[in-house]
Amino acid sequence: MWLVDYRDLIWNLTISDLKVKYQSSVLGFAWSLLNPLLMMLVLYFVFSNIFRFELENFALYLLIGIIAWRFLANGTMTAMGSIVGRPGLVTKLYIPRQILVMSSVLSSFISSILEFAVLIPLLFILGAKVTPNILFFPVVHGIYFLIVYGISLVLASLFVYFRDLNQVWDVVMQAGFFLSPIVYPITTIPAAFLEYYMLNPMTVLIETYREFLLYGLTPSLASLLALLAVGAVMVAAGTLVFQRLERRFAEEI
Amino acid sequence: MNSDEAIAVEHLSKEFRIPHDRKVTMYEHIVGILKGGKYSYELFQALDDVSFTVRRGETFGVIGPNGSGKSTLLKILAGVLYPDSGRVQVNGKIAPFLELGVGFQPDLTAKENIFLYGSIMGLTRKEIGKRYDEILDFAELRRFENMKLKNFSSGMAVRLAFATAIQTDPDILLVDEVLAVGDEAFQRKCSEKIEEIRRQGKTIIIVSHALGTVQELCERCMLLKNGRVLSSGETGKVVEEYLRISAAGS
Repeated sequence: MWLVDYRDLIWNLTISDLKVKYQSSVLGFAWSLLNPLLMMLVLYFVFSNIFRFELENFALYLLIGIIAWRFLANGTMTAMGSIVGRPGLVTKLYIPRQILVMSSVLSSFISSILEFAVLIPLLFILGAKVTPNILFFPVVHGIYFLIVYGISLVLASLFVYFRDLNQVWDVVMQAGFFLSPIVYPITTIPAAFLEYYMLNPMTVLIETYREFLLYGLTPSLASLLALLAVGAVMVAAGTLVFQRLERRFAEEI
Repeated sequence: MNSDEAIAVEHLSKEFRIPHDRKVTMYEHIVGILKGGKYSYELFQALDDVSFTVRRGETFGVIGPNGSGKSTLLKILAGVLYPDSGRVQVNGKIAPFLELGVGFQPDLTAKENIFLYGSIMGLTRKEIGKRYDEILDFAELRRFENMKLKNFSSGMAVRLAFATAIQTDPDILLVDEVLAVGDEAFQRKCSEKIEEIRRQGKTIIIVSHALGTVQELCERCMLLKNGRVLSSGETGKVVEEYLRISAAGS
């Protein structure tokens, strides 16, 4: 199994990825944490003053949505270029190529965990209902990893053949941002559409994060299982597509 | 496959499609379809029914003019390209030296890069840790251990790469003209190291234009032209054949 055989390589690639990422800007690590906070402030201002959403703890509501969403947006966007961006590792020697996708998603995953870690003191300061249910975080985040990894496999392999896929995906991500309950409460969705709205796995996922981080509730088993199923399907489908397209990577890059 | 064979290649063929109008974006595909254009391409037969075996512990040379399929063959052996038909059997751990320093990160230090590159070449972290000092000493870069790679000269970087890659302890070494590393003193050190590996009974496959190197190192040789095997066997004869066809060709 490549995951076990190449664990040292996966880890080294992930670590060097993170080192390069956090070294390259002056503020480095701090900047990547400031980004979601600043975005939260802007959105908080816009949506609480202009749209006048009356929601308890709207700032935290927003922040959890934004941080959760960022893993999908950043993770898939960076991982898409993970094959094309390392041509030497594809054309000059053989390593299982999903390693490149895996280590890219892993480094986004670690960044995301750090962002959530910064969130925790804010939960206390801004008065969230913190309960032991917060310990569901590793479970939910692990499932989320599967979803992002599965999507990334598809994107990274397609990107080798279609180099404008990032433009398209950027638009998809923008649409997804507003089709998921990040900046508005789910109650604003008309009842007639709610059934379809809930089919978006990101809706279920973001709501799950809020349940145990913000409201101190136990996430429902049904949602967890549904998300796990989505994750498993994504990884299976992603692996299938990736293996089909991988054979000619070295000729196309 | 006999147990004394390191590599057995049977009826290997590889064809490349070279499109007349290469489309690399969705936009170009859509425009192409709207214009009613066809997906026309040239076929290029890079390898045509190539068969050969390399014995264990042998140093085997592959020679031929440009575009004869040498590099394609090496890439198939390395597992980078997939053949269209035919079989490749490899007995042992392969280390491809198609290019040195693949995956180096200029923004990381020499030390970090040794660990990164070592694991890319198939070493575990523990193994790299154990051989770390040896790598630095061989590369003669001990003083620059904590310097970022982007501040290295190209010669220093390639020395670091060679010193790391050579530690992988492979059964089979694939070499594509990379023996010219660094200054003359370091080159001599590299040749000695290769010679040492050869004496240890490892299998080496060398693809090269330098007939001198091939004659010096290889017991047996194969001549490729237009993807076909023109001759193979004892190095002296094959090189003679190569000189004959290149004289006739020009």
